[in-house]
Amino acid sequence: MPHSVSPVRLTGAVKRFGATLALNGLDLEIAPGGVTALLGPNGAGKTTAIGLMLGRLRPDAGEALLFGRDPRDLAARQRIGVMLQSAGLPQQLTVMEQVMLFAGYYEAAMPAAEAVALAGLGGLERRRCSALSGGQQRRLQFALAIVGRPDMLVLDEPSVGLDLEARRALWTTIRALRDRGATVLLTTHHLEEAEALADRVVVIDKGRVRASGSVADMKALVSGRSIRCLTALDDAALAALPGVRQVSRSGRHVVLLSEAGEATMRALLAADAGVADLQLTGAGLEEAFDALVAEAA
Amino acid sequence: MTATAILAREWGAEIKKSARQPAFALPTVLMPVVFYTLFGITLARGDNAASYLLATFGVFAALGPSVFGFGISIATEREQGLLALKAVSPMPGFVYPVSKLLMTFVFVAIVLAMIYAVGIFAGGVSLSPRAWAAMIAVHLVSVVPFSLIGITLGYLMTSQVAIAIANIVFFLLAILGGLWMPVFTFPGFMQTMAWALPSFHLAQLALIAQGMVKADFLWAHIGAIAAWTLVLTGLVAWAVRRARD
Repeated sequence: MPHSVSPVRLTGAVKRFGATLALNGLDLEIAPGGVTALLGPNGAGKTTAIGLMLGRLRPDAGEALLFGRDPRDLAARQRIGVMLQSAGLPQQLTVMEQVMLFAGYYEAAMPAAEAVALAGLGGLERRRCSALSGGQQRRLQFALAIVGRPDMLVLDEPSVGLDLEARRALWTTIRALRDRGATVLLTTHHLEEAEALADRVVVIDKGRVRASGSVADMKALVSGRSIRCLTALDDAALAALPGVRQVSRSGRHVVLLSEAGEATMRALLAADAGVADLQLTGAGLEEAFDALVAEAA
Repeated sequence: MTATAILAREWGAEIKKSARQPAFALPTVLMPVVFYTLFGITLARGDNAASYLLATFGVFAALGPSVFGFGISIATEREQGLLALKAVSPMPGFVYPVSKLLMTFVFVAIVLAMIYAVGIFAGGVSLSPRAWAAMIAVHLVSVVPFSLIGITLGYLMTSQVAIAIANIVFFLLAILGGLWMPVFTFPGFMQTMAWALPSFHLAQLALIAQGMVKADFLWAHIGAIAAWTLVLTGLVAWAVRRARD
C-alpha cells in the first residue's frame, strides 16, 4: 500500500505536565514504509510523543499530524493500528470476539481469523481472555493492532512479557507486514529488538530528538571509534583530524566520534604529544545509545 | 461498517461481558428480586405493600446495574488502559459510553420484568395502563442519574477505592432513600434527610405515577432530579477532562 503523505509529523511539539517539560520542541517525521524504532531512557518523552501523534494528548505548542490530518480525525485513525504498553483487555470475551470487534472498526479489515493466525494465536480462537497467559494476551493486542490492515502500526513496547520464541515470531510478522508496505513505529527497551527490526532509529532524550539514522549510522557514531582524552588541541584542530565526525567536550575531556578510530588516534598523537588519559571504546547500538544519552546529560 | 452497526456489536459485547461476570450479574439481578419478594410479599403488612414497594424497588432495580455495570466498569477499563486503546482506534467516540448505557438498560429491563412479574402474580398488583406506563418511565429514567454517580466515582478514584465507595453509596441511596422500606416508617430527621437523595425523589415520582402518593410535590421531585442530573453531568465533564491530561 503506497502512501505519499508522511504518516507522522510532529513539528516543534511542546508538552508540559505541571512543572515537567516532557517534550521540548520535538521535531519528528516518519516517512512512509520501513520500521522506525523510537529509543530513549525512561522519561525521555517517548510515550508523550506517541500520545501526541495518536491524539491522546494535545501539544501545548507546535503541531502533530497523522497522515496529514488531526490525529483525532477518524479518517486518520482508519490508517493506524495501535498496541499500547498496558491495555487490559476484557477478560470475559474470547479471542475471536475481541478481534471481530476491532475488525468492525476498519473499512479494509482482514478476516479476523487471519489476524489471529498472524499473531500466533491459532487454535485459541474460542478461549476467553482470562484463560490466556500474559504473553498470549500481548499477542491478542497485536492481533487487534493488525486486523484493520493499517498503513501504519504503532507498537509501544510490543515484546514486553513475551518469551524469546514468541518475540522472534513477532519480529518475523512485523517484518512481513513491513515488506507488504506497512510503516511500523515501535518503542522498545530492548536495543536488541531495535537492532533486529529497525530500518531507522530515532533517539529521544529530554523531550528532543538527539540523533536519528540507520542502525549502522548509530553504531558508526561510536562503534570502536569513540575516543576520549585530555588534549591541548582546540575543537577546530580536532575536527580536522582524519575520520572525526563529531567533537564534544565532557568536563576537561574531549570526546571524538570517529569513523576510523586507529587513524584518528595516530593523527591525534602526532599532533599533540601531550595527550593524556586516552580511551578508545566501541561496540553496538547499546553503547551508541548510552553515549548519545550521556552526551546530552 | 456504519457507526450504528459498530454500536450494535459493542452493545452485544457489553452484554456478554456483564453476563459472564457472576460477581456483577448475580447480585444486581437477584438482590432486587429476592428483597422485593421478601419485603413486598412475604413480610408485607397492609394491603398496598406489594404495590407501594414495587414502585420503590423498581428504582432499586436501576441502581445496581447503573452504579456498578456502567460507572465502575468504565473506571476499571480506564485504569486497565482499554479505554485508551479504544480511544485511539477508529471506533467513533460516542460508541463506548452509549453501548455501556444500552447494556445497563438491558439489565435494568430484565430485573424490572422479574419484579413486575412477582408483583403481578404473587402480590396481586393491579394498575391502570397509564399508571404502569408512568411508573416504568420513572424506573428507566433512574438509570441516568445513577449512572452519572457511578462514572463520577470511577473517574475520581482508583477502581478499588471506587468499588468500596460505590458499595456504600449503593446501600445509602437504597436504604435512606426509602427504596427498601417506606420513608414514612422512618424517624422524623431521617425523613428530612431523604430529601437530599436522588433515590428518594425517584421513588416518590414512581409512587406518584401509581397514585400512591399525592402529587403535591411533583415538581419539587422533578426539579431535584433535574438538579442532581445537571450537577452530576458537570462533575463528570470536569472529572473526564481532569483525567485526560
